[in-house]
Amino acid sequence: MAMAEPAAIRTVSEVLNAGRPARAGVSRSYWAGVRRRLARDRVTIVCAAILFVILAAAIFAPYVTWADPYKTSMIRRLLPPGSPNHILGTDELGRDMFTRLVYGGRISLFTGFMPVFVATVIGGTLGVLAGYLGGRSNMLIMRVMDVFYAFPSVLLAVAISGALGAGLVNGLVAMSLVFIAPVARVSETVATQVRNEDFVEAARATGARTWRILIEHILPNVLGPILIYASSLISVAIVLASGLSFLGLGVSPPNADWGLMLNTLRQSIYVAPVNAILPGVMIFVTSMCFNLMSDGLRAAMDVR
Amino acid sequence: MRRRTLVKAFLLAGLATPIAYASQPAVAAEKVLRVGMTAADVPLTTGQANQGGEGVRFMGLSLYDALILWDLSSYEKPAVLKPGLATEWKVDDATKKIWTFKLREGVKFHDGSGFDADAVVWNLDKLLKKDSAQYDPSQAAQASQYFGGIDSYRKIDAMTVEITTKTPDAVFPYQISGIVYSSPKRWEEVGRNWAEFAKRPSGTGPWILDKLVPRERAELLRNANYWDPKRVPKSDRLVLMCMPDSSTRTAALLSDQVDFIEAPPPDAVPRLKQSGMQIITNVYPHIWPYQLSYADDSPFKDVRVRKAANLAIDREGLAKFLGGLATPASGQVNKGHPWYGKPTFEIKYDPDAAKKLMKEAGFDEKHPAKVKFGISTSGSGQMQPLPMNEFIQENLNAVGFQVEFEVMEWEALRGKRRAGALSPETKGLNGINNSWAYWDPDIGILGISMSRLKPPAGYNWGAFTDPEIDALGEKAKTTFDPKAQDEVLAEIHGKLVDKAVWIWVVHDLNPRGLGPKVKGFVQAQSWYQDLTPVWVDK
Amino acid sequence: MLSYILRRIAYALPITLGVTIICFSLIHLAPGDPLSAVLPDNAGPDMREQIKIAYGFDKPLPVQYLLWLKNVATGDFGLSIQSRRPVVSEVLPAACNTAYLALAAVLIGFPFGILMGAVAGYTVGGWIDRAVTSVAVTGVSVPHYWLGMVLVVIFAVNLGALPAMGMGPGGQSSYAFDWAHLRHLVLPAITLAVIPAGIIARSVRATVADIRRRDFVGTLQAKGIGEGRVLYHVAKNAGPTILAVAGLQFAQLLGGSILVETVFSWPGTGFLLNTAIFTRDLPILQGTILVLSIFFVFINLVVDVLQTFLDPRIKRA
Repeated sequence: MAMAEPAAIRTVSEVLNAGRPARAGVSRSYWAGVRRRLARDRVTIVCAAILFVILAAAIFAPYVTWADPYKTSMIRRLLPPGSPNHILGTDELGRDMFTRLVYGGRISLFTGFMPVFVATVIGGTLGVLAGYLGGRSNMLIMRVMDVFYAFPSVLLAVAISGALGAGLVNGLVAMSLVFIAPVARVSETVATQVRNEDFVEAARATGARTWRILIEHILPNVLGPILIYASSLISVAIVLASGLSFLGLGVSPPNADWGLMLNTLRQSIYVAPVNAILPGVMIFVTSMCFNLMSDGLRAAMDVR
Repeated sequence: MRRRTLVKAFLLAGLATPIAYASQPAVAAEKVLRVGMTAADVPLTTGQANQGGEGVRFMGLSLYDALILWDLSSYEKPAVLKPGLATEWKVDDATKKIWTFKLREGVKFHDGSGFDADAVVWNLDKLLKKDSAQYDPSQAAQASQYFGGIDSYRKIDAMTVEITTKTPDAVFPYQISGIVYSSPKRWEEVGRNWAEFAKRPSGTGPWILDKLVPRERAELLRNANYWDPKRVPKSDRLVLMCMPDSSTRTAALLSDQVDFIEAPPPDAVPRLKQSGMQIITNVYPHIWPYQLSYADDSPFKDVRVRKAANLAIDREGLAKFLGGLATPASGQVNKGHPWYGKPTFEIKYDPDAAKKLMKEAGFDEKHPAKVKFGISTSGSGQMQPLPMNEFIQENLNAVGFQVEFEVMEWEALRGKRRAGALSPETKGLNGINNSWAYWDPDIGILGISMSRLKPPAGYNWGAFTDPEIDALGEKAKTTFDPKAQDEVLAEIHGKLVDKAVWIWVVHDLNPRGLGPKVKGFVQAQSWYQDLTPVWVDK
Repeated sequence: MLSYILRRIAYALPITLGVTIICFSLIHLAPGDPLSAVLPDNAGPDMREQIKIAYGFDKPLPVQYLLWLKNVATGDFGLSIQSRRPVVSEVLPAACNTAYLALAAVLIGFPFGILMGAVAGYTVGGWIDRAVTSVAVTGVSVPHYWLGMVLVVIFAVNLGALPAMGMGPGGQSSYAFDWAHLRHLVLPAITLAVIPAGIIARSVRATVADIRRRDFVGTLQAKGIGEGRVLYHVAKNAGPTILAVAGLQFAQLLGGSILVETVFSWPGTGFLLNTAIFTRDLPILQGTILVLSIFFVFINLVVDVLQTFLDPRIKRA
């Protein structure tokens, strides 16, 4: 079986080796251990804190900013960070950078979460079904997934949103499609493993219905690894979404996510290098925190 | 086992290695001039170039000549027409429709064949005669704006051609200056195929195409036998590179990868000057507007809405954003131009008056007029389209518009422009931000406003219709005395401003960035420029 | 093993077919009439009719697909809408340039990633490990197009040490493997190498650490076998996994370089794709994607087969 991994997406085995919490149901002491390990992991806590601040700022954008994100001013354009009233300076049209970054974070985070969420729901369902049902259903679902998997991930996203035309929604659709196949593949592998466990066999022997087995026995055991895998996709999604915007395939002005801000500030990089670099820093920090946090979670849930 | 793996690995690597690369010895002491264009692809090399004014500037008029050429040697005065492949021309007195052109003797195509009346007729067939073997739809599309007025043409003798226009048209010499002549002999040589001709084009121009790499570059060689000895190029090789991204152009100039760039971004100008680059500007007949749609569903059918849009824009602020590389516009042509006339509607920044007009038209911030403009990412004369549009979007939204953009590549926007607002391809667009020129009466004034000059006949993109303008337009078309013609054009222009036919924003000052050692460039007051006297003094 | 390889090849065929179906649907994904997507803007009604027949748009979809597939199989990908040049003549040189850039990135990124990962895997928990891990996580998190911009400003514009764009003084038409051309490769290749280097470092670290924890390493050490021999055994065991990751990363680079190529005006498929999208040049878009994804399937196949050569114990279904 081809083991194509989208750029910056972890190998299936890496995820599976880590998040294999339990065999016969998830015990309470296991979660206590996870919590204890997490509490000791300073890196993860710091990352979680940073993400929390970024997320909160994005959600409550109108309350934490005091400038109009769309109000341009030619007199106050490209002010350096630290200017009065503009702690992070202004952009090429004189709009407050801090405000723009906060509002931009709204879109960037949304475009990071949304496709992963959609892909997890769809891909997870498909994968678990394929893994549990096995046989022909598995064949059918997984071979279709393999086709989507046969594209380099960035290429597929660019191709679909390029064909659909620029725009936020089209970008989201394209990215969701990109992530469905890897999620389905991870889910299928986990579900296949769990399916052959004794307690599932036992449940089947008692004549329980398929959906009951799926919900009561399979789901609790596959959810962990799938969610961990999904969490590692968020950072990829954020970088990819801002990349699409950077190419002009994402949101349209005057709204801007960090990628589009980076694009438009690019020609000012000689006059105001710090301002021009800021949106990139935001993408970088957010993506890195997601990565580290996903690492931390994985380590904490690792029972080995 | 390990060795076999290694072999496989190399095999894998070998498959991915580019095969087509052949090394080529560097030619010593060749004088090279490298230009960074804004186009995303090399302009068409078959004759009638695409990519707008820039394509004609760097490719069309480099490889080819027209019967009548622009004199691009003066910095001080607007460019005027001068003899090109025709040494003289005149219109008959009786009908004012029959133009006779005397062709220049001794002109040779790059392939050595002679230029004569047969070549002229052959080339006009290439554009106009759909059943001729050499008919080329893509060149015809590019030239449709120039040949629309031609009714018939014929060879009188080997060196004389007669062209008859459909109606008396005083602007005809300007139109004919847009048509260039490709070599019939080369076309036969390459198997009667324009795609092949594009790789080995042959014209009469001062430069000869050496090689062409799609989307990357074209290299042109000096034509030492050019018919005009004053315009034999000073450089041996002209390299035209595609750099649609303005920061790429800046970086390329700063890191000495090119010697000459089009439209450096204003923000980079201080940095360029600091590194000793020359920033050259000059006025030229350019306007950065929104051409408006007069389709039934367009909010711009209402003159109040058009006036409000014109009053909503802070042009001074925009000029400031452009680092002073533009001047605010108050009409299609600049103030002081012979065609400016006496408009009564003063175009300025007055958001309150704009809001009032919008209210009268039934729009306000709660019920905004929803409009959609087609804009480009880059392009000849488009300046800095994305930030400028964003700036204006905010201006317009502040007085009761809700502006949406459809962003496309330059050549795609030009396609929409040629199609016209009433065609299905432009459905949903209420305007296009396609920069415009006014180097001749047709392009500048008449073509955009007369109802019979809707695409493809002319440039009246939005299908603006006004009987008074139509009547005045016909008068201008038949006024062969330039002075009297100017007066009619000025009257029309005054009325166009009063009717706020387009949204006029700024005139570009056409900045160019040149390396410290580039010599000999005279920036003409024109869309076209002559690179033949330019060289890099190493 | 031979039967495995044959099966693996047989398996790649339906995938390739699936890939062509997706590429074919791209034109139909585009909003509006698929015909208007492939028509030049200035097409007249006669041209419309002509193209309709040429593309077979008057026939049912499955027939259209088969017709298209037949053309593609004979190397006819249609004409570019903008330039009217055959799509193949535009895509193949671009694909070569992309592969060339990807290969350069591989030569920079892979040894670096493997070395870092191996060192970290040997010193799990130590400060070297932590340093390497943070460098690696930086690598996988950084938006590489942004890094490219920053590198251009520093090295091309401010230091003037390296060129900012393009493939070299002669462009792709007269490429030579001399410094004048190779220096153009440095910045884009480094930019492109960052992500795979990070990913490879991470997986090498995990693999090496995992193997060192296994019993046989302890046994080897207990037997008093030299550290060199132990290292050899670790490398031999980690090899197949590392090869798989590295191969896939190389394949990803082919598709992932679009942003980097845009920043550096590298005349590869990414650059081509970017222009194709904004000119709505769908035949070019379709052709580029098709060529790249088939290449991608092929590399996956090769990597899989190589892996079984390296480690015949791997039994695959």
